[in-house]
Amino acid sequence: MARRRVHEYVTLPAATLSLVLAATACGGGGDGGGDGGTTDTLQVWIMEGTNPDATAFFDEVNAAYTEETGIEAEVEFVPWADAQDKISTAIAGGTTPDVIELGTTFTPEFADAGALHDLSGYIDDPSRFHQEMYEMGVIDDAAYGVPWYASIRSIIYRKDIFEEHGQEEPTSWDELRETALDLAEAEEDMIGFPVPGQAQYSVMPWIWGGGGEVAVQEADGTWTSTINSPEGRAGVEFFTDLALEDDLSTTGAVNWNEIDVMETLADEQSIMAISNSSNPKAIIESNPDLEGKLGVFTLPGQDGGYMDSFAGGSLLSVFEGTGNEEAGWQYVDLLTNGEFFERWGEESGFFPAGVDEIQAYADSGDPLVEPFAVQLLEAGRTTPVVPAWSQVEAEGIIVGMHQDILNGNATVEEATDSAAEAIENILNEGS
Amino acid sequence: MQLGTPVRPPNGGRRAPLLGMRGRRALLPWVLLVAPLGVIGLLLLFPIGRIVWLSFRDFKLRNLVSGESEFIGLDNYVRLLTDPYLWQVVLVNTVVFAVVAVVATVVLGTLVALLLANLKPVTRIIVVSCIMVAWAMPAVSGTYVWIWIFDVDHGVVAQALKALGLIEPAGYNWFADRFWFYAIVTLNIVHSGFPFVAVTVLAGLLTVPKELHEAARIDGAGAWKRFWHVTFPTLRPVFAVVTVLSTIWDFKVFAQIYLMPGGDVGGSQMLNLGVWAYVRSFGQNDFGTGSAIAAMLTLLLLGVTVVYLRALFREDELR
Repeated sequence: MARRRVHEYVTLPAATLSLVLAATACGGGGDGGGDGGTTDTLQVWIMEGTNPDATAFFDEVNAAYTEETGIEAEVEFVPWADAQDKISTAIAGGTTPDVIELGTTFTPEFADAGALHDLSGYIDDPSRFHQEMYEMGVIDDAAYGVPWYASIRSIIYRKDIFEEHGQEEPTSWDELRETALDLAEAEEDMIGFPVPGQAQYSVMPWIWGGGGEVAVQEADGTWTSTINSPEGRAGVEFFTDLALEDDLSTTGAVNWNEIDVMETLADEQSIMAISNSSNPKAIIESNPDLEGKLGVFTLPGQDGGYMDSFAGGSLLSVFEGTGNEEAGWQYVDLLTNGEFFERWGEESGFFPAGVDEIQAYADSGDPLVEPFAVQLLEAGRTTPVVPAWSQVEAEGIIVGMHQDILNGNATVEEATDSAAEAIENILNEGS
Repeated sequence: MQLGTPVRPPNGGRRAPLLGMRGRRALLPWVLLVAPLGVIGLLLLFPIGRIVWLSFRDFKLRNLVSGESEFIGLDNYVRLLTDPYLWQVVLVNTVVFAVVAVVATVVLGTLVALLLANLKPVTRIIVVSCIMVAWAMPAVSGTYVWIWIFDVDHGVVAQALKALGLIEPAGYNWFADRFWFYAIVTLNIVHSGFPFVAVTVLAGLLTVPKELHEAARIDGAGAWKRFWHVTFPTLRPVFAVVTVLSTIWDFKVFAQIYLMPGGDVGGSQMLNLGVWAYVRSFGQNDFGTGSAIAAMLTLLLLGVTVVYLRALFREDELR
């Protein structure tokens, strides 16, 4: 009897408590806009892992900034994998930093959501930045980000193996395929040309190279994807056939991302692979034996010339409503102008995202840098500038299409049709 | 107020009103419960309330920034419940996997417990220590080990199967196949979940009076019959607890799926409710729909738990 009474009483206050909490939860929704940052210290979030010695670099930047403005700055390093969660929760909790590094593909979404401050009034000369990257931060003439550093994908190859078997750098798709086939036959234990399944930026160049578009905006504002046009399909088919028909890749490569591909180069498993411009440095660091044995060539066009490649990298943005927007801009300007702009590039292995700066690398004659710089200037592209694009990435549309083909779950026709349809649905629903 | 009334010994203070004492008695548990209830309220009830609130709203990144959002009633739920992806992929993955994993975990755990009960104390300590390692392994490390074991090109399993000629030299990408993907997840979950069942059931086994077993043995009952007619009825509450807990854990498995190749991509065939809620919220910044998924998962779990408890306890045991 006594026990029953206790049970009856438990529910009522607990239920009341939960109701009260639910009610206060409603009240708590209003203060999401970040107004928590007005302190004496400028808060800066930088992505982790770009520069191995980032701490020392930012100690110097902060010292220079304090000397110039009298404001203390504090840098926090954020892992890429956590970035999106961390920013979202910071916005919800009103604890956003003042300045943030955002990957190019993130910028349109956060800008569109109203989280970022318009910097167009501060930027003197937008033309000094890599234009495709600058455009990533522009929505309706407002500039929500300043290009900071860039990276691009070209092909890293084993120069020693090419020379041993008398092969030249290929200049067209057919030559690329022939070269890979010959070398894979000559070097039986090595992978001729890995076709990774979890690396959408290794797939996009082939769509563009064949003549398709991931997504373009029509005159009436709607988005169209021509991945499933004959041209787009030709590119996707050529790339996937390197694995499926020519057996130049491995079955496990379907689960590889760009880092995994880089590791096969570092482990001397691959003869050549689509790689990021920051990779040569990392490969040689992890396997010093490869010093002098690596080469780079730009992605060959279908019938020669260049094939467009995905240019990634980061923009620096200033959060809206922190009360520190002016100070934030000064910090951004310090990083994207002059000494620190160039030094970050030298130390990190990425390109400073300025036209003159990249041109200097394109004229440098360094065989592991020059082709990447040329690719970036001549044939570097970004993803479509539309806020909903990040949903296409989150849904893994291109990855899914590519994997379905590689796993034999769909033909090129079926997979490209459903990918194009999904992309159009997502992009047109948002606008 | 009532706390302030002077305390009198029950037999001495005749003038003390009986009601006041009862009131004090009724109040005392609540005074003692204030701290734990406050903690539960802050850490559990508040987030649950917030999720329910969010699930009735159109809440995207833009709303997160502005702090303003629109009440849309059941729209999020209607959209989810009419999405074939829920019925054909996510719910099937969640439920079938949980059923298989719970049965496997409880059966294996019980078998190990029976083994342990028959071991000598020193051997028992050694075996318990070994299985505790599996339990102590963090989910993330454990999952990476399993991914590594099943690596498509160089994993131990792939190499062994290739050497035996059971799969072609080119290998097979089991991470792309829903059945094998979940087979690996099940291995992972059972491996990390059975020690808890084993140790809990063992603790129960040691309390079963020896006389019951002896009596059954004299009546001619074999090991199988003794388990079902002596051990199981005595340990029913223990089995209820491990089954309910395993069910709750296996329904909301997250890291073991999210970290697998293909387990973190929205729209893939491999998601369960928990991962879907996360990908919707933080991958696609659709916090309203993500919360609605989370709310549905919670309701599903509450439902399953109630059904279990009713089935496992007789009415009088519940009191």
